[in-house]
Amino acid sequence: MLDRQLSRRRFLSNFAFASGAVATGVGSWVIPAPWANAAEAPIKVGIATDLTGPIAYAGNADANVAKMVIKEINASGGLLGRPLELYIEDTASNESVAVGNVRKLIQRDKVDMVLGGITSSMRNAIKDPIVARGKTLYIYPQLYEGKECTPYLFCTGPTPAQQCDEFIPWLIKNGGKKFALPSANYVWPHTLNVYARKVIEANGGEVVFEEYYPLDQIDFSSTVNRIISNKVDVVFNTVIPPGVGPFFKQLYEAGFLKNGGRLACVYYDENTLNINQANEIEGLASCLDYFKVLTKENPFDAKIQAAYEKDFPGNFLFAAGSAATGTYRGLKLWEAAVKEAGKIDRESVAAALDHAKIAEGPGGPAEMVPGKRHCKMKMYTAVAKGGNYEIVARSEGLVDPKEC
Amino acid sequence: MANAFVAAFEILSFGAIIVLIVLGLGIIASMMGIFNFAQGEFVLLGAYITYVAYANGLPIWAGMIAAPFLVGALGFVLEALIIRRFYAAPIVAMLGTYALGLIIRESVRGLIGGFYLTVPEPIGGSIDIGTMHISAWRFTIIVITLLVMAGCYLLLSRTSFGLRMRATLENPSLARASGISTPLMYGATFAFGSALAGLAGALIVPVFSLYADLGIRFLIQGFVAVMVGGVGSFIGPVAGAGVIGTLSAALPWLMAPVVADVLVFVLAIAFIKLRPQGLIAGKGV
Repeated sequence: MLDRQLSRRRFLSNFAFASGAVATGVGSWVIPAPWANAAEAPIKVGIATDLTGPIAYAGNADANVAKMVIKEINASGGLLGRPLELYIEDTASNESVAVGNVRKLIQRDKVDMVLGGITSSMRNAIKDPIVARGKTLYIYPQLYEGKECTPYLFCTGPTPAQQCDEFIPWLIKNGGKKFALPSANYVWPHTLNVYARKVIEANGGEVVFEEYYPLDQIDFSSTVNRIISNKVDVVFNTVIPPGVGPFFKQLYEAGFLKNGGRLACVYYDENTLNINQANEIEGLASCLDYFKVLTKENPFDAKIQAAYEKDFPGNFLFAAGSAATGTYRGLKLWEAAVKEAGKIDRESVAAALDHAKIAEGPGGPAEMVPGKRHCKMKMYTAVAKGGNYEIVARSEGLVDPKEC
Repeated sequence: MANAFVAAFEILSFGAIIVLIVLGLGIIASMMGIFNFAQGEFVLLGAYITYVAYANGLPIWAGMIAAPFLVGALGFVLEALIIRRFYAAPIVAMLGTYALGLIIRESVRGLIGGFYLTVPEPIGGSIDIGTMHISAWRFTIIVITLLVMAGCYLLLSRTSFGLRMRATLENPSLARASGISTPLMYGATFAFGSALAGLAGALIVPVFSLYADLGIRFLIQGFVAVMVGGVGSFIGPVAGAGVIGTLSAALPWLMAPVVADVLVFVLAIAFIKLRPQGLIAGKGV
């Protein structure tokens, strides 16, 4: 009897150790620091992302990337001699749930930094509890429509300038001058289209068609008809799932690709390739900070991609469109800033993060633009061929975000 | 001219899709008097079964044929275990079936990892008529919808099974007195309605790709269609679905899609206010 109790206790302690992550409430996870430091407590990193809900595939990938980066930093001795402890909260694709969970990070766990949020509406919902009331540093990792200039809020994903400045001239050269802008009716497409239209017109193209659809619209027959009858060369799409699959299919069936039309969509990454049959989106062009195909030429990309796939085999891909690359970049830039600052209070880290640089990251180096809280990075144009991407163009150096 | 033809085809094909989805919903609502809020998830399950067949290397046709049978069988079991307890309280039935739908939806979301997954059409590509291209699969859906509609109508109006079903609906106690097993008839009707949803899901998944909210996307449109068409007969909801489906597809040709989306519902509400019994009133086939 005594033996059994002891072994059960040992089993439980082993189990708790092995599982690593400890649930501390609904949707909360802590990955404790791997070693304790007598002098100073661990540095606490908070991740608030969509672990459940319609974009859970992206949120889980981001949480995985955070686990990978924190593990790597801890393995090389931590930061300022202190280990890192990871606190993950679910924002659940639901702003009111998210605000409550983010408050837990700030008030209960007292994290030193929060990274997360995927949609712009989520960022807007949680930035105030983090930055203003929470007095904590916030890093937003997703590509977005720009114009976020809140102090202490740093953006590490691509902006419209980064996704359009090089991409649209390429589209005009490799597609044609007549653009259609079919779009989902929310803030990102509206704001991105304003910028895209400027770049299209500055490069001698014209927008023949700009239209917005309800987010759940899944029949696009009138749109497709207008695109075909206007002889559009390039469909610069910002319709999102679930509409985008049927939309591309209807375009294909109406002969858009057969007539030499070019599809373009700046959020398309490895995840979204599966929405359609490969032949329905043949030649689709996207412009992002990372594509998996870069692992063939860039040893550092190959290294992080392999490390990610080893730790997290399965469906949650390390992809740019789900903010996984922005998460990696954000955490590494923050690491560089903390090292430079030599302390962890918000003012000092923000001051160092303002001009932080990393020599290696997904797709290449990255650096914050001083005073702008946005990040310069390399951008790649890729084209879908037979269900995979091929890089067809890349930026010369780091592209300026042109924000704030 | 060519343009008008393409427009007519596209509008008709979306109308057919809505009719296909509403068929099962309408039969359950009309014949049993309960609104099945899990109907969208039965559509989703049909789509999911087709995807599973495809992902495991089976022909897509096999998945599409299996889907209505499997979803129908599930409907039969759920009716016996759960739905049966709700007949006395239709409002509670709505909540109960909604909960059932939620469980199915979130389970499927877990199984497919929240992704959007493509399923190819068994008949792909387009039919070219001169310079026009129309989708071969959408054309097939129109044909199958017409066949299924005709089949359902014949089943309900010309067979002894249909007669028993209608008898059970109109006067359960007299039906029981005449030797009809009403619980069995309810089970069979619910299973039949579920099977139609499974078939609809299997046929539409190549068009819209598989995702967890595929079914719920059509739920509101489906209910509006049933209300507009009129509860109580088989023909009513089908007519309503034709009207709602055609309107939803036609209005974006005429105005901004965001306005069209709202206008469909405004028109439907105005219509129901003026004619609360719906397009086709009364019981019967």
